Amino acid sequence: MKKSIRFRAAREKTAVRNVLFLIGIFLTASALGYLFGRIGFDETNIVLVYLLAVLATAWLTHSFVFGILSSFLATFLFSYIFAQPEFTFLVDDANNYIVTFVIMTLTALITSALTSHARQSECAAREKEAQAKAIYALTNRLTGAKDMDDIAGAAVGSISVCFSCQAACLCCDSTGLPQRSFVQQGPAASQVHRELEQDPRTYKKALEAAGADCLKGREFYDWPIRGKETLLGVIRIPAAAGAALGDAGVRLLRAMIESTALAMDRHRAAKQQMQFREETAKERYRSNLLRAISHDLRTPLAGIIGSCEMLLDMTDPCSPQYTIVTDMHKEAIWLHSLVENILSLTRLQDGSLSLCKQVEAVEEIVAGAVQRMAKRAPECVIHVDMPEKLILAPMDAKLIEQVLINLLSNAVLHANAKDPVDIIVSEDATGKTVEFTVQDRGVGIVQEDLPHIFEMFYTRGRGHADAGQGIGLGLAICKTIVQAHGGRITGENREDGPGARFTFTLPAEE
Amino acid sequence: MERNKPLILVVEDDRQIQKFICYALESEGYPYITAGTGQEAVSRLMSEQAEIMLLDLGLPDYDGLSIIKKVRQWSDIPILVVSARDQDREKAAALDSGADDYLTKPFSTTELLARIRVALRHLQKVGTGNTQAVLQVGGLQIDLERRLVHLDGEQIHVTPMEYSLLALLFRHMGKVLTTAFIIKEIWGPAYGTDTQALRALMAGLRRKIEKDHARPRYILTEVGVGYRLTDE
Repeated sequence: MKKSIRFRAAREKTAVRNVLFLIGIFLTASALGYLFGRIGFDETNIVLVYLLAVLATAWLTHSFVFGILSSFLATFLFSYIFAQPEFTFLVDDANNYIVTFVIMTLTALITSALTSHARQSECAAREKEAQAKAIYALTNRLTGAKDMDDIAGAAVGSISVCFSCQAACLCCDSTGLPQRSFVQQGPAASQVHRELEQDPRTYKKALEAAGADCLKGREFYDWPIRGKETLLGVIRIPAAAGAALGDAGVRLLRAMIESTALAMDRHRAAKQQMQFREETAKERYRSNLLRAISHDLRTPLAGIIGSCEMLLDMTDPCSPQYTIVTDMHKEAIWLHSLVENILSLTRLQDGSLSLCKQVEAVEEIVAGAVQRMAKRAPECVIHVDMPEKLILAPMDAKLIEQVLINLLSNAVLHANAKDPVDIIVSEDATGKTVEFTVQDRGVGIVQEDLPHIFEMFYTRGRGHADAGQGIGLGLAICKTIVQAHGGRITGENREDGPGARFTFTLPAEE
Repeated sequence: MERNKPLILVVEDDRQIQKFICYALESEGYPYITAGTGQEAVSRLMSEQAEIMLLDLGLPDYDGLSIIKKVRQWSDIPILVVSARDQDREKAAALDSGADDYLTKPFSTTELLARIRVALRHLQKVGTGNTQAVLQVGGLQIDLERRLVHLDGEQIHVTPMEYSLLALLFRHMGKVLTTAFIIKEIWGPAYGTDTQALRALMAGLRRKIEKDHARPRYILTEVGVGYRLTDE
């Protein structure tokens, strides 16, 4: 933009200029009138000359005040210089001249009002046009911007040209925290990077305290760029230029900041969407891979388990081979259950395994789980505490049984065989939810692992979870299943002594 | 002396599992033949006098259901379905279309042989035209003629609905009955598939015959499939 607009509030300068205009114009008009009088033109012509002077003053000074001032001045001068007798305010033919004075004053007033109004509209239109041009130019540059730095650069460039200053722009990260460096317009078309002079956190607080207004600093006046959710950045106008901004300047600057905010928001949203899409694709790829592997592992594993049993049948129970095969058998069974877990988890997560809900008796599901546990780990003791009343709830029976079995296996894994594992079933007072609790007397859950135990593949703390074998899948499945039923699952350490407690709820009605 | 053991047809495509099943059968002295595909299974069944069929649901050429339907057109041979754990719906469907029992992989030899024994008992009963009026398992006894139920020697009172449920289970002792089958038998085919009434009826019956309903002694729940009256 070549044509720069200066909004300098140099009022005194303008006033002096206007007074000079006024004096000049009326001197000329009076001289001309005097000349006309000498030549012997009619007084009406002199009145017209003064009206022209009023018009010229209003046009040149852009000011309504000067217009009115000039209209009264014209009447006074006319009555003083030209009305008979000359060079007095006395008037001979009072009745006749009063009409001339009144009409002259009124005409002068209306003319000056109209002129200055036209002048002001023109100024406003020009200002608006300049604003529109500035914003259009900025928007043009913003559309082409590839990243946040580009956007900041474009905004800095446009604003600097527009307000003839060296503006700067500071971007924020995705959480709305200002970055440590900002970009500033240098001499010519160059842009330089500078360090933020204070800590981003305190700076952000100061910005927030300033509210909708700008933050007035020593070097810069800072205008925040606010996005839909967070603070996106800050436009920094050098203090001198910032102080000189008139109302129109502030309006224009706000509009430009608004455009910048829109561009930044749009860019951020596009980036997020892309990230999200990438993650979804990655997740899908991962679960497909997992499923393919698990599926292929399952059948040979069943074969290995069978073969182990065959070997056990053929081997003398006292021989060392027997122990080896027993271990192999156990490991294979564990691996098989892991594979099954992965299969159901990946299916649940990508939605290909839909819930098949039917009204089920809670006692049957619990009994089913206990029965299967007894088969799998005959040495464990399971206490069941269920109300005598029949509790019915809609659920996918197989999946809820799986949740119970996962929780029970976990408990059995971590408790001594002689310490019983408890299953407690209860219905809340309103009969709207059923609560299942599985608790053991094992080592409990390491405190730092507590928030992570339901995460897929969480292994870091090697605390409770499936720590024995290292992959925390069982609990992740429990969570997925329970949530798919509209319930909640929690894990905690028991307050009545050692051990862990897992509780999940199911809605008792659809 | 023991009568000749029946010929068993093993339909399984995975060689290792097939080998392990055959070993288990051999150790108990059952003669067997094998098939690796559905096509082969059907043709072997037509040519040989097999008396029990062990059928894997995940065969490479046919799906298990269509084989069961095909076989059921001309044969009453007991079919024992072998399936993976996540095939519950197929399992129930297989039972409903005529399979007699199922086994979930991985299964132990003990489980396999127990299921085969149940199938054989049924075979023998059908063979001898069994019309026993009094049936018993453990301390639980039912008199089908006089419509009486005894538990540990004492007569217990059951409602007519509970009686028909128990009688149904006794008639298919040891065999798993799907929820859909039981509902159809007790409430009739027009009733639909609502399981709530059956769950309530079962809970009522269990409270009369089971001491600990978290560990039923007689009527076992096959979660997601149906119920089985134990025969041991």
